[in-house]
Amino acid sequence: MDVLIQIVASGLTLGAMYAVATIGLSLVYGSLNMLNMAHGAILTLGGYICYAAIVHAGLHPALALIAAAFFCALVGLMIYFSAALPLLRAENFETNIFIATIGIGSVIENLMLKGFGPYPIPQPLAVDGQVVIGNVHIPLQNVFILGVAIVLMVGVAILLQRTSAGRAIRATSMNREAAQLMGVRVGRVYAQVLALSGALAAVSGIMISSIATLTPVMGGDPMLKAFIVCVVAGLGNVYGAVVAAIALGLLEAATQYVLGVRWSFATLLLLVILVLIWRPYGLFGKQQVVRL
Amino acid sequence: MAEATLEIVDASAGYAGRIVLDAIKLSARKGQLTAIVGPNGHGKSTLLKAISGLVPVTSGEIHLDGLRIDRLRPDQIVERGVIQVPQGDLLFPAMTVHENLLMGAYANSGGLAERLDFVFTLLPKLKERRNQTAGTLSGGERRMCGIGRGLMAGGEVLMLDEPSLGLAPIVIEQIYEVIFNLRREGRTILLVEENAERIAEHADMIHLLDNGRIAWSGLGAELMARPEIVETYLGV
Repeated sequence: MDVLIQIVASGLTLGAMYAVATIGLSLVYGSLNMLNMAHGAILTLGGYICYAAIVHAGLHPALALIAAAFFCALVGLMIYFSAALPLLRAENFETNIFIATIGIGSVIENLMLKGFGPYPIPQPLAVDGQVVIGNVHIPLQNVFILGVAIVLMVGVAILLQRTSAGRAIRATSMNREAAQLMGVRVGRVYAQVLALSGALAAVSGIMISSIATLTPVMGGDPMLKAFIVCVVAGLGNVYGAVVAAIALGLLEAATQYVLGVRWSFATLLLLVILVLIWRPYGLFGKQQVVRL
Repeated sequence: MAEATLEIVDASAGYAGRIVLDAIKLSARKGQLTAIVGPNGHGKSTLLKAISGLVPVTSGEIHLDGLRIDRLRPDQIVERGVIQVPQGDLLFPAMTVHENLLMGAYANSGGLAERLDFVFTLLPKLKERRNQTAGTLSGGERRMCGIGRGLMAGGEVLMLDEPSLGLAPIVIEQIYEVIFNLRREGRTILLVEENAERIAEHADMIHLLDNGRIAWSGLGAELMARPEIVETYLGV
């Protein structure tokens, strides 16, 4: 029983982090058909901004978190205006923006390397203490991460379901032309989605660095896992991504316990291959016919 | 003669350098039903898209109540009351009927409750289906939902692209009854229809579009009295 509690606690923490990292990625793909390869770098940048805001600017951790989210939202906007907007006007947007965001991610990574150095830095936003369930000691940091993730996921769900702006985002992702005919300014929706994605990536980066350490390349692994979650859920399916993220987090935690840490990533990749063979459009995605 | 609401003056439009519409000249007047008929693939839907700002107008002008609109973005054209119900509805399939209707009012949310009441009175089936996702509606219900969504925008000019396409005759009758009611209320209706016979006796003005050009214009009865035109262009 204790083992099960431990696996569930670890799995939910991992899943929550993956979910927050994936929501932004999935929103951007759903709306723009854009795979944002700079997502991992933005996620890392959020962690560093939070660190700098607490350590160098002396901000309260809560304010530092908000500052990091705001800064990364601006980075998202910058990506829209500097890369997505001009490339949307040309052909082969999906390929071009994929390459462009690899470049942007690389620039951000190198700026962080220059600014903060290559050595691991501990994230100061940490919650001390632990919760004891049976014989299992669960760090309060994990509970905090889960709590923040739940608040963000509920917030995004309310935004998408209950607000006019959220309906415009969903409408644009379902049918861009129809959304335009309803009076939706799709360019504004794209900018909003990239800003929201940046803010979510920042929070995700802060959470991940709070249980590991900050390094300029730390975003690579979570971004890869976020892509795995996206593929398993079905690209662009936000709610499916949350479910898939939690499920994959639990699977990863179970694999780490049963088979060992080194098998966890291989298991995830095997799962992706199986899903792609069984349902190429993802567990929650819809089959699409593409006219060539 | 009634005041001209929508005026298209020598407008050409197309996709990626290919001209689809060539010097189109027509007008749609307030409280009248103007029909565009013609064979498939000859530019009828492109004409509505050009008016909505989805396809760029390369030369000529489009005016709404004297104001030039062909350089505006699609959302700005919607804000000025030119609403299109596209072919195949283009509903948002994962949204409920109610959410689809709310999207119709996205650009103009004033008097939302009154407009919802109006739509539900005109199209009572939608009230029954309001919490059903649009992707699960029948063909006729989808078309009704598309028209209802267009009406939610509260625009004065309603453009419908083949509203009867693929529907059973009884459903087509119901949909046209709704369209005629809207005309009686004073809306400007611009209707694209492949079946000229269906619309001939009801339209105030018919324009025949062939290869991106207006090949003939006149009253519906006049069109049906010209069998050579009907046979050549419409294959009836």
